[in-house]
Amino acid sequence: MNQDLISSILDLISKMVFPFLGTTEIIAQPRAYWDNSYTIWLIFSIIFFVGILLVGIYIVIRYRYVKGKNEEGAHIEGNTALEVVWIAIPTILALFLATLSFANFMYQRTLPADALEVKITAFMWGWEIEYPNGKVVSTYFNTEKPFEKDDSEKFYLPVGKKIKVLLSSRDVIHSFYVQPAMITEDAVPGRITYMWFQINKEGEYYAFCREYCGSWHSYMIAVLKVVSEEEFNKWLEQK
Amino acid sequence: MEERAEDLEPGITSEGTSEESRHQHKEVKPWYSGGLKDWIFTTDHKKIGILYFFTSFIFFLLAGMMGMLIRYELTNPGIQLPSIAGQEGADLYNYLLTGHGTLMLLWWAVAVWTGAFGNFLIPLMIGAKDVAFPRLNAFSYWVFLGASVMVLLTAIPGNWIKMLWTAYPPFASNPNAGPVAYYSIIILLYGIAATAGSVNFVATIISMRTKGLSFRKMNLFTHTILGANLIQLFGVPSFLGAVTLLFLDRYIGTNFFNPEIGGDPLLYQNIFWFYSHPAVYVMMLPAFGIYSEVIATMSRKPIFGYVSMVLAIYLIALIGFLVWAHHMFAAGIPDWARVLFSYTTILVGVPTGIKIFNWLATMYKGAIRLTAPMLFVLGGLFMFLIGGLTGVLLSMVSANLGLTDSMFVVGHFHYVLGMSVTFAALAGILYWFPKVTGKMYNEKLGVWSFIFAFIGSNIFYFFQTFSGTLGISRRYADYPNILEWVLINQIQTFGSVLLFVGIVLFLINIIVSLRSGQKAPKNPWHSPSLEWSATDTPVMSNNFKKDHIEIHKDWHPYAYYKGYHEHF
Repeated sequence: MNQDLISSILDLISKMVFPFLGTTEIIAQPRAYWDNSYTIWLIFSIIFFVGILLVGIYIVIRYRYVKGKNEEGAHIEGNTALEVVWIAIPTILALFLATLSFANFMYQRTLPADALEVKITAFMWGWEIEYPNGKVVSTYFNTEKPFEKDDSEKFYLPVGKKIKVLLSSRDVIHSFYVQPAMITEDAVPGRITYMWFQINKEGEYYAFCREYCGSWHSYMIAVLKVVSEEEFNKWLEQK
Repeated sequence: MEERAEDLEPGITSEGTSEESRHQHKEVKPWYSGGLKDWIFTTDHKKIGILYFFTSFIFFLLAGMMGMLIRYELTNPGIQLPSIAGQEGADLYNYLLTGHGTLMLLWWAVAVWTGAFGNFLIPLMIGAKDVAFPRLNAFSYWVFLGASVMVLLTAIPGNWIKMLWTAYPPFASNPNAGPVAYYSIIILLYGIAATAGSVNFVATIISMRTKGLSFRKMNLFTHTILGANLIQLFGVPSFLGAVTLLFLDRYIGTNFFNPEIGGDPLLYQNIFWFYSHPAVYVMMLPAFGIYSEVIATMSRKPIFGYVSMVLAIYLIALIGFLVWAHHMFAAGIPDWARVLFSYTTILVGVPTGIKIFNWLATMYKGAIRLTAPMLFVLGGLFMFLIGGLTGVLLSMVSANLGLTDSMFVVGHFHYVLGMSVTFAALAGILYWFPKVTGKMYNEKLGVWSFIFAFIGSNIFYFFQTFSGTLGISRRYADYPNILEWVLINQIQTFGSVLLFVGIVLFLINIIVSLRSGQKAPKNPWHSPSLEWSATDTPVMSNNFKKDHIEIHKDWHPYAYYKGYHEHF
């Protein structure tokens, strides 16, 4: 194995397991609340996992069968005090994590007051966005160049502005996942669901469909083009 | 046939005299004797168990091959699978996903326990001659086989079912989903078999225990099978209901789920997950049972905290029914429901935590024999720990909103339902191999198959789990050509190949040991549990020599401490 491959695998592991590291600025919201839940869970899990693993390895090595020396196990049927302790600790931890999650969830789901409201409609296999002034942009799957979009198909959004999305679907259930913001909400036919997000850095981002919807499910993407507010307003006025 | 019986157990036929002996002489053949006709018309729980085992294991291998094709598709960006009969490679991929999921869950992870292990072992463990309703048992196997044959017919290109095993409407009403009627009939047949089986097991375990075998003296494996079948009994009707309503919507024009004429597609998800979430405990509980059996036996120790282990089983079965909506956290259900189900879901961690701690305590101060079944169990526990901890993250609603339907979820349930269940099943196969065949498995091949499967699956599923945090969604035939995404998929494929080698070695082990394994002693693990201590190896067709076996008042299936009595 060459050095490059090893270092890129290590780089990959750090990006996967510690996704909240490496970027000092939070490029999208409500990502921070996701990060918060994830970080506390990760710390708790690593402690729990490593603890149990070490105890387990120690027990298996220390008490392994040795002919003539260790052939029979001790007669221990239980220990109530010990069991009460290790029932109580996971219960407290579980309730703590659930409550933490609840607090973060409130931020993720509370709609901001000063948001730009857009309507996004999903269909097999593409998205349609309607801006407050009635401008409509659609994007369809394209098997020739599945992950590239022409400028006329990109969803323009102003940088640093909260976007309120009203979601629906024309045919089957789809799901709108804004990748940088780590937020997902299903688009259900016959219902209107909602979500909000905000991207703080100009550039192009993917939004994927996350509910399985048939042949070209994986090509059902939308490119979010995040531009400055002036540029966005100029673009919005164009017909 | 009779000569064969005498070869294996020369001592037995000499027991008794005259009329009685002739009567017994007929009954003491090993369980597997008998011709083709005997196997087809059998009502013997052991033969039905083995029929279930073969069907289920063949479908496990088939679903595994589908999994390898899925890996082949995902190793590089772009669509690699060929277009067949005018259908795109992406459609083939979606068919493979549907097949892999359905078969691995229903044909392997559920059927191998309730059908194969349960049938073969439960009557032996509770001292019964057979299950409560032997003919119903045979009926349920043949219905199951009917469903299995129908599954094989879906491989014909026009029959591809491409809506995944969940079959969410309104997509299921879309022509792109494939033949829904066909899917419904497969699931209905499967459900009839499963319901008949669960009625049988619940009745058997409650009413056919031998005298003196109270619930406090039952093997933990028997408790887990009872728990799993209670879930089946209450849950399967809900699943069948969902599928039937789907069928009516599509072909009769009712409007349960069709939003265009006032139906509600989320209603389906509620009914479907009301069974399909508890179903994961139908897969997981018997795996816990096997962990308990093997850990106690191989550590030569009684189970630590037997009573709390039993209570944890039924608590898991109960909580399993209270958490289904966590599959719908992003589906547009009310926020209060998401929070409520987040709390109940995270509480499942408590009884499973109890079990993990008690297994560790059972090994403490034991004399641990690291045989192949024990290695599979320890490996399975390791996988279960990771699967459980990633499950905690997914149960937290705020984290779930970023990870739902991503590869993180896929990795999580492959740790739990994929490897933890499969390792338990493989451990169980090796552990009871002497009981079933009268021969010992090959220890070296067993250990090597474990090493390959353990390392391979950990490479595979570790990267799969955390690839979700990079943003990779599940159920994608293709993905953008991002360097990290390609690398992460190639590492997973490397792991899956190692896992594949491990499974092939395991298969070779079974075949080699069946042909030329050493003759097994009567009780190779020196276990006081009834299936070992009170029956011959291999079992004779009448299970026990007497009609009613008697158990000593101090007997316990886990009485492993020094000075235990081997012949209660």
